[in-house]
Amino acid sequence: MSSEKFEAAMDLLRRLDPTKVEKHLTQLIKLEPELAEDLLASVDVPLQVKKDPNASHREFLCCDYNRDIDSHRSPWTNVYVPSLEPEDAEESPFPSEKTRQLEILANDSFDIYRDLYYEGGVSSVYLWDLDDATDDFAGVILLKKSENSRSSWDAIHVLEVLNNGNKAEYRITTTIILHLNSGSQKTTLSGNLTRQTEKTYELPTGVPHGKLQVWHTSNLGSMIEDVESQMRNILEVVYFDKTRDIYHELRDGSFSATNSNRAAHEQVIKGLQGM
Amino acid sequence: MTDQLDAIVSDIVSNSPSGEISEVVKDLKVIIGESGEEAIKAAVEKYNIANWIPIKLGSESVIVSDFNKSGTKFYDPKSSQLFSVDHLKRLALDVQPCDKELKANELAIYNDLDSYVKNSFANETSCAVYPGESANEIVLIIVGTKYSPANFWNGQWKSFYRFNTQSKQLSGSIHVRIHYFEEGNVNFSNDKDVKAENVDDVASAIKDLEDNWEQEMEKDFFNLNEKEFKLLRRRLPVTRSKINWGKGIGNYRIGKDSAASQ
Repeated sequence: MSSEKFEAAMDLLRRLDPTKVEKHLTQLIKLEPELAEDLLASVDVPLQVKKDPNASHREFLCCDYNRDIDSHRSPWTNVYVPSLEPEDAEESPFPSEKTRQLEILANDSFDIYRDLYYEGGVSSVYLWDLDDATDDFAGVILLKKSENSRSSWDAIHVLEVLNNGNKAEYRITTTIILHLNSGSQKTTLSGNLTRQTEKTYELPTGVPHGKLQVWHTSNLGSMIEDVESQMRNILEVVYFDKTRDIYHELRDGSFSATNSNRAAHEQVIKGLQGM
Repeated sequence: MTDQLDAIVSDIVSNSPSGEISEVVKDLKVIIGESGEEAIKAAVEKYNIANWIPIKLGSESVIVSDFNKSGTKFYDPKSSQLFSVDHLKRLALDVQPCDKELKANELAIYNDLDSYVKNSFANETSCAVYPGESANEIVLIIVGTKYSPANFWNGQWKSFYRFNTQSKQLSGSIHVRIHYFEEGNVNFSNDKDVKAENVDDVASAIKDLEDNWEQEMEKDFFNLNEKEFKLLRRRLPVTRSKINWGKGIGNYRIGKDSAASQ
Protein backbone atom coordinates (compact mmCIF):
# COMPACT_ATOMS: atom_id res chain seq x y z
CA MET A 1 0.00 0.00 0.00
CA SER A 2 1.32 3.41 -0.85
CA SER A 3 2.09 5.54 2.16
CA GLU A 4 1.62 8.57 -0.07
CA LYS A 5 -2.08 7.69 -0.44
CA PHE A 6 -2.40 7.14 3.29
CA GLU A 7 -0.83 10.54 4.04
CA ALA A 8 -3.17 12.19 1.53
CA ALA A 9 -6.21 10.53 3.11
CA MET A 10 -5.11 11.61 6.61
CA ASP A 11 -4.55 15.16 5.35
CA LEU A 12 -8.05 15.21 3.85
CA LEU A 13 -9.61 14.05 7.10
CA ARG A 14 -7.86 16.91 8.91
CA ARG A 15 -9.52 19.39 6.54
CA LEU A 16 -13.04 18.07 5.96
CA ASP A 17 -16.00 18.82 8.22
CA PRO A 18 -15.22 16.90 11.45
CA THR A 19 -18.91 16.21 12.13
CA LYS A 20 -18.88 13.94 9.07
CA VAL A 21 -15.65 12.05 9.76
CA GLU A 22 -17.31 8.59 9.73
CA LYS A 23 -18.94 9.27 6.36
CA HIS A 24 -15.71 10.58 4.80
CA LEU A 25 -13.76 7.63 6.21
CA THR A 26 -16.17 5.24 4.46
CA GLN A 27 -15.94 7.26 1.22
CA LEU A 28 -12.14 7.23 1.21
CA ILE A 29 -12.11 3.47 1.77
CA LYS A 30 -14.48 3.10 -1.21
CA LEU A 31 -12.10 5.17 -3.34
CA GLU A 32 -9.11 3.11 -2.24
CA PRO A 33 -10.04 -0.15 -0.42
CA GLU A 34 -6.39 -0.84 0.40
CA LEU A 35 -6.44 2.10 2.82
CA ALA A 36 -9.10 0.45 5.03
CA GLU A 37 -6.96 -1.20 7.68
CA ASP A 38 -4.54 1.69 8.23
CA LEU A 39 -7.23 4.36 8.22
CA LEU A 40 -9.49 2.47 10.65
CA ALA A 41 -6.53 2.08 13.01
CA SER A 42 -5.40 5.73 12.75
CA VAL A 43 -8.51 7.87 12.57
CA ASP A 44 -10.29 8.67 15.81
CA VAL A 45 -14.06 8.61 15.53
CA PRO A 46 -16.63 9.16 18.29
CA LEU A 47 -16.79 6.08 20.50
CA GLN A 48 -19.65 3.61 20.24
CA VAL A 49 -21.34 2.31 23.39
CA LYS A 50 -22.34 -1.33 23.84
CA LYS A 51 -24.00 -3.13 26.76
CA ASP A 52 -22.49 -6.22 28.33
CA PRO A 53 -25.28 -8.83 28.78
CA ASN A 54 -23.04 -10.74 31.22
CA ALA A 55 -22.60 -7.72 33.53
CA SER A 56 -26.19 -6.53 34.09
CA HIS A 57 -26.07 -4.73 30.74
CA ARG A 58 -23.44 -2.34 32.02
CA GLU A 59 -22.23 -0.01 29.25
CA PHE A 60 -18.72 -0.19 27.81
CA LEU A 61 -16.88 1.65 25.02
CA CYS A 62 -15.87 0.27 21.66
CA CYS A 63 -12.97 1.13 19.39
CA ASP A 64 -10.67 -0.62 16.95
CA TYR A 65 -8.46 -1.82 19.85
CA ASN A 66 -11.07 -4.07 21.51
CA ARG A 67 -12.71 -5.17 18.25
CA ASP A 68 -12.65 -8.62 16.69
CA ILE A 69 -14.71 -8.96 13.50
CA ASP A 70 -17.89 -7.12 14.55
CA SER A 71 -17.66 -7.93 18.25
CA HIS A 72 -16.04 -5.97 21.07
CA ARG A 73 -14.41 -7.26 24.24
CA SER A 74 -16.08 -6.00 27.41
CA PRO A 75 -13.70 -4.72 30.11
CA TRP A 76 -16.12 -5.90 32.83
CA THR A 77 -16.17 -9.61 31.91
CA ASN A 78 -13.34 -10.02 29.34
CA VAL A 79 -15.96 -11.51 26.95
CA TYR A 80 -16.66 -10.48 23.34
CA VAL A 81 -20.11 -8.95 22.68
CA PRO A 82 -21.97 -10.27 20.76
CA SER A 83 -20.37 -13.66 21.17
CA LEU A 84 -18.41 -14.95 18.18
CA GLU A 85 -18.79 -18.26 16.34
CA PRO A 86 -16.59 -20.86 18.09
CA GLU A 87 -14.18 -21.15 15.16
CA ASP A 88 -13.69 -17.36 15.09
CA ALA A 89 -13.47 -17.05 18.88
CA GLU A 90 -10.40 -19.31 18.98
CA GLU A 91 -8.41 -16.58 17.28
CA SER A 92 -9.71 -13.66 19.37
CA PRO A 93 -7.03 -11.65 21.14
CA PHE A 94 -6.96 -11.47 24.96
CA PRO A 95 -4.45 -9.89 27.35
CA SER A 96 -2.22 -12.22 29.38
CA GLU A 97 -3.39 -13.04 32.91
CA LYS A 98 -0.92 -10.55 34.41
CA THR A 99 -2.01 -7.77 32.03
CA ARG A 100 -5.68 -8.61 32.60
CA GLN A 101 -5.14 -8.10 36.36
CA LEU A 102 -3.74 -4.64 35.63
CA GLU A 103 -6.63 -4.00 33.22
CA ILE A 104 -9.21 -4.86 35.91
CA LEU A 105 -7.55 -2.52 38.41
CA ALA A 106 -7.24 0.26 35.81
CA ASN A 107 -10.92 -0.09 34.89
CA ASP A 108 -11.94 0.17 38.56
CA SER A 109 -9.74 3.24 39.10
CA PHE A 110 -10.78 5.07 35.93
CA ASP A 111 -14.41 4.33 36.72
CA ILE A 112 -13.91 6.35 39.92
CA TYR A 113 -12.04 9.05 37.99
CA ARG A 114 -14.95 9.21 35.51
CA ASP A 115 -17.45 9.60 38.31
CA LEU A 116 -15.47 12.42 39.97
CA TYR A 117 -14.78 14.47 36.81
CA TYR A 118 -17.63 13.57 34.47
CA GLU A 119 -20.50 12.86 36.88
CA GLY A 120 -21.89 10.40 34.38
CA GLY A 121 -20.68 8.99 31.09
CA VAL A 122 -18.86 5.72 30.43
CA SER A 123 -15.21 4.66 30.75
CA SER A 124 -13.28 1.62 29.52
CA VAL A 125 -9.62 0.60 29.63
CA TYR A 126 -8.12 -2.02 27.30
CA LEU A 127 -4.56 -3.30 27.62
CA TRP A 128 -2.45 -5.72 25.64
CA ASP A 129 1.03 -7.21 25.96
CA LEU A 130 3.83 -5.88 23.78
CA ASP A 131 6.42 -8.54 24.55
CA ASP A 132 6.12 -11.70 26.64
CA ALA A 133 9.73 -11.49 27.79
CA THR A 134 9.31 -8.04 29.38
CA ASP A 135 6.59 -6.22 31.26
CA ASP A 136 6.08 -3.79 28.38
CA PHE A 137 2.45 -3.18 27.56
CA ALA A 138 0.20 -0.91 25.54
CA GLY A 139 -3.39 0.09 25.85
CA VAL A 140 -6.13 2.59 25.43
CA ILE A 141 -8.07 4.53 28.06
CA LEU A 142 -11.48 5.73 26.84
CA LEU A 143 -13.97 8.17 28.36
CA LYS A 144 -17.21 9.37 26.86
CA LYS A 145 -19.84 11.80 28.08
CA SER A 146 -22.87 12.96 26.13
CA GLU A 147 -25.16 15.69 27.31
CA ASN A 148 -28.62 15.63 25.68
CA SER A 149 -28.24 14.77 22.00
CA ARG A 150 -26.32 17.91 21.10
CA SER A 151 -23.02 17.84 22.96
CA SER A 152 -20.46 15.15 23.52
CA TRP A 153 -16.91 14.63 24.77
CA ASP A 154 -14.89 11.58 23.71
CA ALA A 155 -11.41 11.13 25.19
CA ILE A 156 -9.12 8.55 23.57
CA HIS A 157 -5.74 7.99 25.24
CA VAL A 158 -3.50 5.52 23.43
CA LEU A 159 -0.59 4.52 25.64
CA GLU A 160 2.62 2.57 25.63
CA VAL A 161 4.64 1.63 28.72
CA LEU A 162 8.22 0.48 28.15
CA ASN A 163 10.48 -0.81 30.90
CA ASN A 164 14.05 0.36 30.66
CA GLY A 165 16.37 -0.77 33.46
CA ASN A 166 15.07 0.71 36.68
CA LYS A 167 12.73 3.07 34.87
CA ALA A 168 9.40 2.83 33.08
CA GLU A 169 8.68 5.18 30.16
CA TYR A 170 5.09 6.21 29.54
CA ARG A 171 4.00 7.59 26.16
CA ILE A 172 0.43 8.75 25.70
CA THR A 173 -1.30 10.15 22.60
CA THR A 174 -4.51 11.89 23.57
CA THR A 175 -7.33 12.87 21.23
CA ILE A 176 -10.39 14.68 22.51
CA ILE A 177 -13.35 14.80 20.16
CA LEU A 178 -15.65 17.59 21.30
CA HIS A 179 -19.01 18.41 19.72
CA LEU A 180 -21.10 21.34 20.91
CA ASN A 181 -24.34 22.51 19.37
CA SER A 182 -26.66 25.26 20.49
CA GLY A 183 -29.75 23.66 18.91
CA SER A 184 -32.16 26.25 17.59
CA GLN A 185 -29.41 28.85 17.08
CA LYS A 186 -27.72 26.50 14.61
CA THR A 187 -24.27 27.17 16.01
CA THR A 188 -21.96 24.18 15.88
CA LEU A 189 -18.48 23.95 17.37
CA SER A 190 -17.03 20.56 16.70
CA GLY A 191 -13.83 18.73 16.05
CA ASN A 192 -10.84 17.19 17.73
CA LEU A 193 -7.44 18.07 19.11
CA THR A 194 -4.50 15.71 19.66
CA ARG A 195 -1.53 16.05 22.01
CA GLN A 196 1.30 13.77 23.06
CA THR A 197 2.75 13.34 26.55
CA GLU A 198 5.75 11.43 27.79
CA LYS A 199 6.95 10.77 31.29
CA THR A 200 9.52 8.51 32.92
CA TYR A 201 9.05 7.09 36.42
CA GLU A 202 11.73 5.39 38.55
CA LEU A 203 10.62 1.87 39.47
CA PRO A 204 9.85 1.60 43.20
CA THR A 205 12.27 -0.46 45.23
CA GLY A 206 11.14 -3.47 47.20
CA VAL A 207 8.07 -4.21 45.09
CA PRO A 208 8.22 -7.73 43.65
CA HIS A 209 8.29 -8.16 39.90
CA GLY A 210 4.74 -8.54 38.57
CA LYS A 211 3.23 -6.67 41.54
CA LEU A 212 3.39 -3.26 39.97
CA GLN A 213 -0.30 -3.03 39.02
CA VAL A 214 -1.15 -0.36 41.59
CA TRP A 215 1.97 1.61 40.71
CA HIS A 216 1.25 1.59 36.95
CA THR A 217 -2.39 2.51 37.53
CA SER A 218 -1.39 5.45 39.76
CA ASN A 219 1.12 6.75 37.21
CA LEU A 220 -1.33 6.43 34.33
CA GLY A 221 -4.03 7.97 36.48
CA SER A 222 -2.04 11.12 37.33
CA MET A 223 -0.85 11.49 33.74
CA ILE A 224 -4.39 11.19 32.30
CA GLU A 225 -5.78 13.50 34.98
CA ASP A 226 -3.17 16.16 34.07
CA VAL A 227 -3.40 15.81 30.31
CA GLU A 228 -7.21 15.95 30.34
CA SER A 229 -7.15 19.07 32.49
CA GLN A 230 -4.65 20.73 30.12
CA MET A 231 -6.64 19.67 27.08
CA ARG A 232 -9.83 21.00 28.62
CA ASN A 233 -8.15 24.42 28.89
CA ILE A 234 -6.79 24.25 25.33
CA LEU A 235 -10.20 23.21 23.99
CA GLU A 236 -11.84 26.11 25.78
CA VAL A 237 -9.34 28.58 24.30
CA VAL A 238 -9.50 27.14 20.76
CA TYR A 239 -13.26 26.55 20.58
CA PHE A 240 -14.35 29.77 22.20
CA ASP A 241 -11.68 32.51 22.18
CA LYS A 242 -9.87 31.57 18.98
CA THR A 243 -13.02 31.04 16.92
CA ARG A 244 -14.51 34.29 18.12
CA ASP A 245 -11.32 36.20 17.30
CA ILE A 246 -11.42 34.76 13.77
CA TYR A 247 -14.99 35.75 12.99
CA HIS A 248 -14.21 39.22 14.24
CA GLU A 249 -11.37 39.22 11.72
CA LEU A 250 -13.87 38.42 8.97
CA ARG A 251 -16.34 41.04 10.07
CA ASP A 252 -16.08 43.61 12.77
CA GLY A 253 -19.21 45.71 13.21
CA SER A 254 -17.34 47.95 15.62
CA PHE A 255 -14.78 48.95 12.97
CA SER A 256 -15.30 52.70 13.36
CA ALA A 257 -15.30 52.61 17.15
CA THR A 258 -12.70 49.90 17.39
CA ASN A 259 -10.96 50.69 20.63
CA SER A 260 -13.80 50.82 23.12
CA ASN A 261 -15.47 47.74 21.67
CA ARG A 262 -12.28 45.74 21.50
CA ALA A 263 -11.71 46.48 25.16
CA ALA A 264 -15.25 45.32 26.00
CA HIS A 265 -14.71 42.19 23.92
CA GLU A 266 -11.50 41.40 25.77
CA GLN A 267 -13.32 41.84 29.06
CA VAL A 268 -15.89 39.25 27.98
CA ILE A 269 -13.11 36.80 27.12
CA LYS A 270 -11.40 37.40 30.44
CA GLY A 271 -14.71 36.90 32.21
CA LEU A 272 -15.25 33.59 30.45
CA GLN A 273 -11.73 32.40 31.19
CA GLY A 274 -12.15 33.17 34.87
CA MET A 275 -15.17 30.88 35.17
CA MET B 1 -17.84 2.93 -10.26
CA THR B 2 -17.58 6.15 -12.27
CA ASP B 3 -20.92 7.44 -10.95
CA GLN B 4 -19.95 6.48 -7.43
CA LEU B 5 -16.53 8.11 -7.81
CA ASP B 6 -18.11 11.33 -9.11
CA ALA B 7 -20.57 11.37 -6.21
CA ILE B 8 -17.87 10.78 -3.58
CA VAL B 9 -15.51 13.39 -5.06
CA SER B 10 -18.34 15.89 -5.24
CA ASP B 11 -19.34 15.25 -1.61
CA ILE B 12 -15.76 15.47 -0.32
CA VAL B 13 -15.14 18.75 -2.15
CA SER B 14 -18.47 20.18 -0.97
CA ASN B 15 -17.42 19.60 2.67
CA SER B 16 -14.08 21.38 2.29
CA PRO B 17 -13.19 24.75 3.79
CA SER B 18 -12.99 27.33 0.99
CA GLY B 19 -9.40 28.23 1.80
CA GLU B 20 -8.17 24.65 1.46
CA ILE B 21 -9.63 23.55 -1.89
CA SER B 22 -6.23 23.34 -3.58
CA GLU B 23 -4.90 21.01 -0.82
CA VAL B 24 -8.06 18.90 -1.01
CA VAL B 25 -7.68 18.63 -4.79
CA LYS B 26 -4.03 17.63 -4.41
CA ASP B 27 -4.89 14.91 -1.89
CA LEU B 28 -7.75 13.58 -4.03
CA LYS B 29 -5.44 13.36 -7.05
CA VAL B 30 -2.96 11.28 -5.05
CA ILE B 31 -5.72 8.89 -3.95
CA ILE B 32 -7.67 8.43 -7.21
CA GLY B 33 -4.97 9.27 -9.77
CA GLU B 34 -5.22 11.03 -13.11
CA SER B 35 -8.46 9.25 -14.03
CA GLY B 36 -10.31 11.34 -11.47
CA GLU B 37 -9.22 14.69 -12.87
CA GLU B 38 -12.50 15.45 -14.67
CA ALA B 39 -14.59 14.52 -11.63
CA ILE B 40 -12.46 16.82 -9.44
CA LYS B 41 -12.74 19.70 -11.89
CA ALA B 42 -16.52 19.35 -12.08
CA ALA B 43 -16.78 19.18 -8.28
CA VAL B 44 -14.69 22.36 -7.82
CA GLU B 45 -16.79 24.25 -10.38
CA LYS B 46 -19.97 23.21 -8.54
CA TYR B 47 -18.37 24.21 -5.24
CA ASN B 48 -17.32 27.67 -6.46
CA ILE B 49 -20.80 28.46 -7.78
CA ALA B 50 -22.60 27.10 -4.70
CA ASN B 51 -20.30 29.01 -2.33
CA TRP B 52 -20.16 32.25 -4.39
CA ILE B 53 -16.37 32.09 -4.46
CA PRO B 54 -14.75 35.35 -5.60
CA ILE B 55 -12.42 35.00 -8.58
CA LYS B 56 -9.83 37.42 -9.96
CA LEU B 57 -11.10 39.62 -12.79
CA GLY B 58 -8.35 42.12 -13.54
CA SER B 59 -7.71 43.94 -10.26
CA GLU B 60 -11.17 43.13 -8.90
CA SER B 61 -12.54 40.07 -7.09
CA VAL B 62 -15.85 39.05 -8.61
CA ILE B 63 -18.32 36.48 -7.26
CA VAL B 64 -19.42 33.52 -9.38
CA SER B 65 -22.97 32.32 -8.68
CA ASP B 66 -26.12 31.04 -10.32
CA PHE B 67 -27.30 34.67 -10.42
CA ASN B 68 -24.62 35.87 -12.84
CA LYS B 69 -24.22 32.70 -14.87
CA SER B 70 -24.76 32.94 -18.61
CA GLY B 71 -24.43 29.59 -20.34
CA THR B 72 -20.98 28.29 -19.40
CA LYS B 73 -19.79 31.86 -18.73
CA PHE B 74 -20.37 34.45 -16.03
CA TYR B 75 -20.91 38.19 -16.15
CA ASP B 76 -20.18 41.10 -13.87
CA PRO B 77 -23.03 43.62 -14.14
CA LYS B 78 -20.98 46.27 -12.35
CA SER B 79 -18.27 46.43 -15.02
CA SER B 80 -20.38 44.94 -17.87
CA GLN B 81 -17.91 42.18 -18.61
CA LEU B 82 -18.43 38.55 -19.65
CA PHE B 83 -15.84 35.89 -18.82
CA SER B 84 -14.99 32.20 -18.49
CA VAL B 85 -13.48 30.89 -15.27
CA ASP B 86 -10.53 28.69 -14.39
CA HIS B 87 -12.19 27.24 -11.29
CA LEU B 88 -9.07 25.67 -9.84
CA LYS B 89 -7.03 28.89 -10.08
CA ARG B 90 -10.02 31.14 -9.31
CA LEU B 91 -9.19 33.28 -12.34
CA ALA B 92 -11.30 34.95 -15.06
CA LEU B 93 -10.39 34.09 -18.69
CA ASP B 94 -11.49 35.37 -22.12
CA VAL B 95 -12.81 38.61 -20.64
CA GLN B 96 -14.99 40.60 -23.05
CA PRO B 97 -17.44 43.50 -22.76
CA CYS B 98 -21.16 42.67 -22.56
CA ASP B 99 -24.46 44.53 -22.37
CA LYS B 100 -25.40 43.43 -18.83
CA GLU B 101 -25.44 46.41 -16.51
CA LEU B 102 -26.89 47.56 -13.23
CA LYS B 103 -29.98 49.79 -13.32
CA ALA B 104 -29.68 53.16 -11.60
CA ASN B 105 -31.40 51.98 -8.38
CA GLU B 106 -29.32 48.77 -8.35
CA LEU B 107 -26.12 50.76 -8.79
CA ALA B 108 -27.08 53.06 -5.91
CA ILE B 109 -27.67 50.01 -3.66
CA TYR B 110 -24.40 48.45 -4.84
CA ASN B 111 -22.46 51.60 -3.92
CA ASP B 112 -23.99 51.69 -0.41
CA LEU B 113 -23.35 47.97 0.08
CA ASP B 114 -19.76 48.32 -1.15
CA SER B 115 -19.06 51.14 1.25
CA TYR B 116 -20.59 49.17 4.17
CA VAL B 117 -18.47 46.14 3.24
CA LYS B 118 -15.28 48.24 3.03
CA ASN B 119 -15.95 49.62 6.52
CA SER B 120 -17.00 46.49 8.36
CA PHE B 121 -15.31 43.54 6.70
CA ALA B 122 -11.82 42.23 6.10
CA ASN B 123 -10.10 43.43 2.90
CA GLU B 124 -10.72 40.11 1.16
CA THR B 125 -14.47 40.69 0.94
CA SER B 126 -16.54 40.99 -2.22
CA CYS B 127 -20.13 42.01 -2.70
CA ALA B 128 -22.51 41.91 -5.61
CA VAL B 129 -25.96 43.10 -6.67
CA TYR B 130 -27.93 41.18 -9.30
CA PRO B 131 -31.40 41.43 -10.78
CA GLY B 132 -33.61 38.85 -9.01
CA GLU B 133 -36.16 36.40 -10.39
CA SER B 134 -39.01 38.92 -10.60
CA ALA B 135 -38.99 42.52 -11.84
CA ASN B 136 -39.17 43.97 -8.30
CA GLU B 137 -36.51 41.76 -6.83
CA ILE B 138 -32.85 42.51 -6.24
CA VAL B 139 -30.36 39.91 -5.02
CA LEU B 140 -27.43 40.97 -2.81
CA ILE B 141 -24.46 38.83 -1.84
CA ILE B 142 -21.52 39.45 0.49
CA VAL B 143 -18.65 36.96 0.57
CA GLY B 144 -15.69 37.45 2.82
CA THR B 145 -12.78 35.09 3.08
CA LYS B 146 -9.79 35.39 5.31
CA TYR B 147 -7.17 32.69 5.03
CA SER B 148 -4.30 32.35 7.45
CA PRO B 149 -2.88 28.87 6.81
CA ALA B 150 0.42 29.82 8.49
CA ASN B 151 -1.58 30.25 11.69
CA PHE B 152 -3.65 27.12 10.95
CA TRP B 153 -6.97 28.81 10.34
CA ASN B 154 -9.26 29.82 7.49
CA GLY B 155 -12.54 31.68 7.75
CA GLN B 156 -15.43 32.36 5.45
CA TRP B 157 -18.42 34.69 5.70
CA LYS B 158 -21.36 34.49 3.32
CA SER B 159 -24.55 36.49 3.45
CA PHE B 160 -27.34 36.55 0.92
CA TYR B 161 -30.42 38.77 0.64
CA ARG B 162 -33.48 39.23 -1.55
CA PHE B 163 -34.93 42.74 -1.52
CA ASN B 164 -38.36 43.48 -2.94
CA THR B 165 -38.37 47.09 -4.11
CA GLN B 166 -42.20 47.20 -4.03
CA SER B 167 -43.02 45.60 -0.66
CA LYS B 168 -39.73 46.88 0.88
CA GLN B 169 -39.15 43.47 2.42
CA LEU B 170 -35.61 42.20 2.93
CA SER B 171 -34.99 38.53 3.71
CA GLY B 172 -31.83 36.55 3.72
CA SER B 173 -29.37 34.32 5.50
CA ILE B 174 -25.91 34.49 7.06
CA HIS B 175 -23.48 31.56 6.91
CA VAL B 176 -20.16 31.64 8.71
CA ARG B 177 -17.62 28.87 8.78
CA ILE B 178 -14.22 28.76 10.47
CA HIS B 179 -11.65 25.99 10.29
CA TYR B 180 -8.86 25.72 12.85
CA PHE B 181 -6.38 22.92 12.32
CA GLU B 182 -3.31 23.16 14.52
CA GLU B 183 -2.82 19.61 15.89
CA GLY B 184 -6.46 18.92 15.25
CA ASN B 185 -9.50 19.77 13.19
CA VAL B 186 -11.98 22.18 14.71
CA ASN B 187 -14.91 23.58 12.83
CA PHE B 188 -17.27 26.42 13.73
CA SER B 189 -20.37 26.94 11.69
CA ASN B 190 -23.47 29.05 11.98
CA ASP B 191 -26.40 29.45 9.62
CA LYS B 192 -28.99 32.05 10.39
CA ASP B 193 -32.10 33.27 8.56
CA VAL B 194 -32.80 36.98 8.93
CA LYS B 195 -35.37 39.48 7.70
CA ALA B 196 -36.45 43.11 7.96
CA GLU B 197 -39.64 44.98 6.98
CA ASN B 198 -40.22 48.48 5.60
CA VAL B 199 -36.66 48.84 4.40
CA ASP B 200 -35.71 52.09 2.70
CA ASP B 201 -31.95 51.94 3.06
CA VAL B 202 -30.97 48.37 2.13
CA ALA B 203 -27.28 48.54 3.07
CA SER B 204 -28.01 50.03 6.46
CA ALA B 205 -30.71 47.39 7.14
CA ILE B 206 -28.17 44.70 6.26
CA LYS B 207 -25.62 46.31 8.57
CA ASP B 208 -28.15 46.20 11.44
CA LEU B 209 -28.98 42.54 10.79
CA GLU B 210 -25.30 41.60 10.67
CA ASP B 211 -24.37 43.67 13.74
CA ASN B 212 -27.16 41.85 15.49
CA TRP B 213 -25.70 38.50 14.34
CA GLU B 214 -22.38 39.37 16.02
CA GLN B 215 -24.15 40.26 19.25
CA GLU B 216 -26.17 37.04 19.20
CA MET B 217 -23.00 35.05 18.67
CA GLU B 218 -21.58 36.48 21.91
CA LYS B 219 -24.63 35.14 23.77
CA ASP B 220 -24.49 31.85 21.92
CA PHE B 221 -20.84 31.31 22.76
CA PHE B 222 -21.48 32.15 26.38
CA ASN B 223 -24.31 29.60 26.53
CA LEU B 224 -22.31 26.92 24.73
CA ASN B 225 -19.49 27.36 27.21
CA GLU B 226 -21.66 27.62 30.33
CA LYS B 227 -24.49 25.24 29.52
CA GLU B 228 -22.97 22.64 27.24
CA PHE B 229 -19.19 22.47 27.67
CA LYS B 230 -19.24 22.75 31.47
CA LEU B 231 -21.58 19.77 31.81
CA LEU B 232 -19.27 17.45 29.91
CA ARG B 233 -16.13 17.42 32.06
CA ARG B 234 -15.48 19.30 35.28
CA ARG B 235 -12.36 21.43 35.75
CA LEU B 236 -11.82 19.76 39.14
CA PRO B 237 -13.56 16.80 40.77
CA VAL B 238 -16.57 17.27 43.03
CA THR B 239 -14.07 17.09 45.92
CA ARG B 240 -12.33 20.24 44.53
CA SER B 241 -8.89 18.66 44.68
CA LYS B 242 -6.94 16.34 42.45
CA ILE B 243 -7.38 12.61 42.83
CA ASN B 244 -5.37 10.61 45.32
CA TRP B 245 -4.43 7.70 43.04
CA GLY B 246 -3.21 4.35 44.28
CA LYS B 247 -4.54 1.73 46.65
CA GLY B 248 -6.75 4.19 48.47
CA ILE B 249 -8.69 5.31 45.40
CA GLY B 250 -11.57 3.00 46.40
CA ASN B 251 -12.19 5.30 49.39
CA TYR B 252 -13.86 7.80 47.05
CA ARG B 253 -16.46 5.14 46.33
CA ILE B 254 -16.90 4.25 50.00
CA GLY B 255 -17.24 7.95 50.80
CA LYS B 256 -19.85 8.36 48.15
CA ASP B 257 -21.80 5.25 49.16
CA SER B 258 -21.89 6.27 52.81
CA ALA B 259 -22.92 9.81 51.88
CA ALA B 260 -25.71 8.35 49.77
CA SER B 261 -26.91 6.05 52.56
CA GLN B 262 -27.11 8.81 55.14
